[in-house]
Amino acid sequence: MVLHTAPCEAAPVSCTDDTGTVITLEAPARRIIALYGAFNEILVEMGQSGRIVARTDADEAIPALAGLPAIGTHMRPNPELVAGLAPDLILQMEGRREAATSVDALRALGIPVAVFRVASFGDLFSVLHRMGTLTGAEQDAAALEARWTARLDTVAGAIARQPHDTGTADGKDHTQHPPRVVFEVRYPNLLAAGADSIVNDIITRAGGVNAVQQPGRVVRLNEEELLRMAPDAYVYQYGPMNPTPVAPDQRPHFTALDAIRDGRVLKVDEHAFSRPGPRSVEAVEQLARFLHPAAFDTNTTTARN
Amino acid sequence: MSRIRRRTALALGAALWLLSVPAACLFGPFDIGPAEVMRLLGAAAGVPVSGHVDPIRLLVVGDIRLARVCLSLLVGGGLAMAGVVFQGVLRNPLADPFTLGVSSGAALGASVAISFGVTLPAAVAPALVAGLGVVTPAALFGAFAALSLVLLLGTAAGSFRRETVVLAGVVVSTFLAALVSLVKALDEESVSSIVFWIMGSLQGRGWAHTAVLLPPLVLGLAAVVRHARDLDVLALGDTQASQLGMRTGYVRCVLLCGASCITAGCVAVSGVIGFVGLVVPHLLRLVLGAAHGPLLIGAWFGGGILLLWSDVVARTLLSGGAELPVGVVTALVGGPFFCLLLQREQRRERP
Repeated sequence: MVLHTAPCEAAPVSCTDDTGTVITLEAPARRIIALYGAFNEILVEMGQSGRIVARTDADEAIPALAGLPAIGTHMRPNPELVAGLAPDLILQMEGRREAATSVDALRALGIPVAVFRVASFGDLFSVLHRMGTLTGAEQDAAALEARWTARLDTVAGAIARQPHDTGTADGKDHTQHPPRVVFEVRYPNLLAAGADSIVNDIITRAGGVNAVQQPGRVVRLNEEELLRMAPDAYVYQYGPMNPTPVAPDQRPHFTALDAIRDGRVLKVDEHAFSRPGPRSVEAVEQLARFLHPAAFDTNTTTARN
Repeated sequence: MSRIRRRTALALGAALWLLSVPAACLFGPFDIGPAEVMRLLGAAAGVPVSGHVDPIRLLVVGDIRLARVCLSLLVGGGLAMAGVVFQGVLRNPLADPFTLGVSSGAALGASVAISFGVTLPAAVAPALVAGLGVVTPAALFGAFAALSLVLLLGTAAGSFRRETVVLAGVVVSTFLAALVSLVKALDEESVSSIVFWIMGSLQGRGWAHTAVLLPPLVLGLAAVVRHARDLDVLALGDTQASQLGMRTGYVRCVLLCGASCITAGCVAVSGVIGFVGLVVPHLLRLVLGAAHGPLLIGAWFGGGILLLWSDVVARTLLSGGAELPVGVVTALVGGPFFCLLLQREQRRERP
């Protein structure tokens, strides 16, 4: 059971966002618009959904936000609609230039905008703390971090204790070294998750290694480089960035990969894997079970308890 | 231009074109030496080779690299030949394969497919779904739809007038480009993929794309080659061409449809690759003269070679398997070279 602390209403709060801007509020924010869906999910998990006053077009699927007014897209929110709702705090993910332009426009209206960058769980916890500060709900944020950390520790413990012989159907031992994973963001014109993405940390915490070590959130790969990488496992997402992916075993050249031939392929939800937020923990658990099935076999471990 | 010099230039072009095939297969993330590449190309062609053939390396050289090399030769050659035809028929030195809105139509088709993830029922086109996805067929459909619209508008009065056709092409192009922008505005997640497609790339293209390209390419080439000599007559002017017994409107229409057919196929498989069709014909005129027969043959070799080596640069310049859009490379490589040649030619013509 989660106990929500009553935020301190009167004291000014302050933090520095990831663009170096100092965000100072006379009192904890009461009317918040998060332009990035996962930040809304964090607020909901913190028990602060009552403070969210609007959503973007893309966040209709989040149950707690479905009834709220929409203010445009996450990169191009409508300043008039936003101003009309009189928010005292806007949250945005650092990203494309278009998004930066809208941030400048909103700040010009006198609305504080906190911009965060999340490329790892460390960043995610840092954002969680700062969101706790800005909403005056530090204890809720700390409690949420503790729950996430416990789940991640459980996964790490299970992987560390796993038996060495997986007995997988292909007869290969996939546990001698961390499996090398390629995570497909989009295909065709293959885009893969790079070293500076949250996916990179998800793979690491799930007991794997991102085969794509180039910097950047996403990296454009040609199929020859993919063959050269020869990953042990192939993960592809479905969602707005990859709306109708063809199964890898149906694509030219992909069947030359051991990962595809051996069936070491996982289709995952983009919202869990590519959007840093509460579901990132769920992503680690899902990927760890896929990469290390023996570690999570209920007959041999208690990892899932 | 002496006949011997022209034939020598064409023979050199053909030789370079042929040699480029194995040479371009040397480049890629896999480190494979020249001897091994030749052995793998032999194996891919069904020639018995000595020793063990690694299946992955065979796939890389015989399938990925060779398919891409062949596709770039076909696309580059096709775009350059289409450029010769457009410039000849429309008597406009700035005409290029995209004058009639074909590229905008293809871009809209591809953008819709990328953005909305339009799928074809597997029962209707299992091979397309398996090999290509839907972007290429959607681009091909868009290209032909745009071309039909332009020709309908351009010949609505019942007669062919160059100015009307060009104007119709510009209007349709602009309108379709606005629709592409609308698609991008409605789907921010797809913007980078749409932009990358529009800039032109041969990344991920293979034999299946060549199979899609061949029917419109062959159809278009047949029309162009059949009327190649008529291009020289058209260059004399409408009055003289008519006096020589040519049905100028009909011939122009066939040539434009043929060149557009080639362009539609090329742009559907490669995205929008500018510059090749605009500049290669001008460049070759400096070497081969103005006669359209040799010019078309030279354009086939020259366009293919330019696109092939631009693609090699596009796929090897960046590390880690990342690629540049080949359309950017063709402009960067060919633009300054063309300017130098033009300046040299102007200096030579000065009294």
